Amino acid sequence: MKATLQVINQMQADGVIGKYAIGGAVGATYYLEPSATQDVDVFVALTSRPGVPLLSLAPIYEYLTARGHKIEREHLIIEGWPVQFLPPSGPLEEEALEQAVETEVEGTVTWVITAEHLAAMALKTGRAKDFARLLQFVEAGALDATSLNLILEKHRLHEKWQEFELKFLRRDQP
Amino acid sequence: MTDWMRKVLESKRATRDRLRALPFAEKLKLLEKLRERSLWIAKSHLRTRKPPKV
Repeated sequence: MKATLQVINQMQADGVIGKYAIGGAVGATYYLEPSATQDVDVFVALTSRPGVPLLSLAPIYEYLTARGHKIEREHLIIEGWPVQFLPPSGPLEEEALEQAVETEVEGTVTWVITAEHLAAMALKTGRAKDFARLLQFVEAGALDATSLNLILEKHRLHEKWQEFELKFLRRDQP
Repeated sequence: MTDWMRKVLESKRATRDRLRALPFAEKLKLLEKLRERSLWIAKSHLRTRKPPKV
């Protein structure tokens, strides 16, 4: 993983991408116990190219394939890890990327999305595995309630949180 | 809940807490091992073998 991050950092230093942050199961592992995953989700701010009005993932693919990294379906294989690059799909993801926390992996700098943003993104996505991760966050006491509430309110996810709470966190149900 | 079951759950919780407290780099090494194992299991002939016809 360190080698994977070094390649991504070099791509950032070369100006292909702007800020990036690890999300998904690997990002959650920063706060929780490790759980099996097949790929790395990397949220990435795309940089615009002169004369190209639309932001696209194409420069990432061009940069990495030119350096021998292979494409497998929606992933780029970087030093053994399938990596999926994801541009922010809305204000929540944009904020998550902006507020990502800086950390180090054996001397290599990287960024990870905050626990509260990961939780909000899981809530928004709403698949079974997202709810499972959300439960892990709650059970581990890894979420700051004030910060999470602000995010839920700002991104209108309170209703979804209440549904989640009712379904998974209520202790008085049969 | 039986005492035995309570001990099992406590032990699981302690293991999760211990793993959670590891440095990120250590956790990433564990993730790599987990991924290698799941790929190995997925490739196993036992996994890909067709179930017998009933």
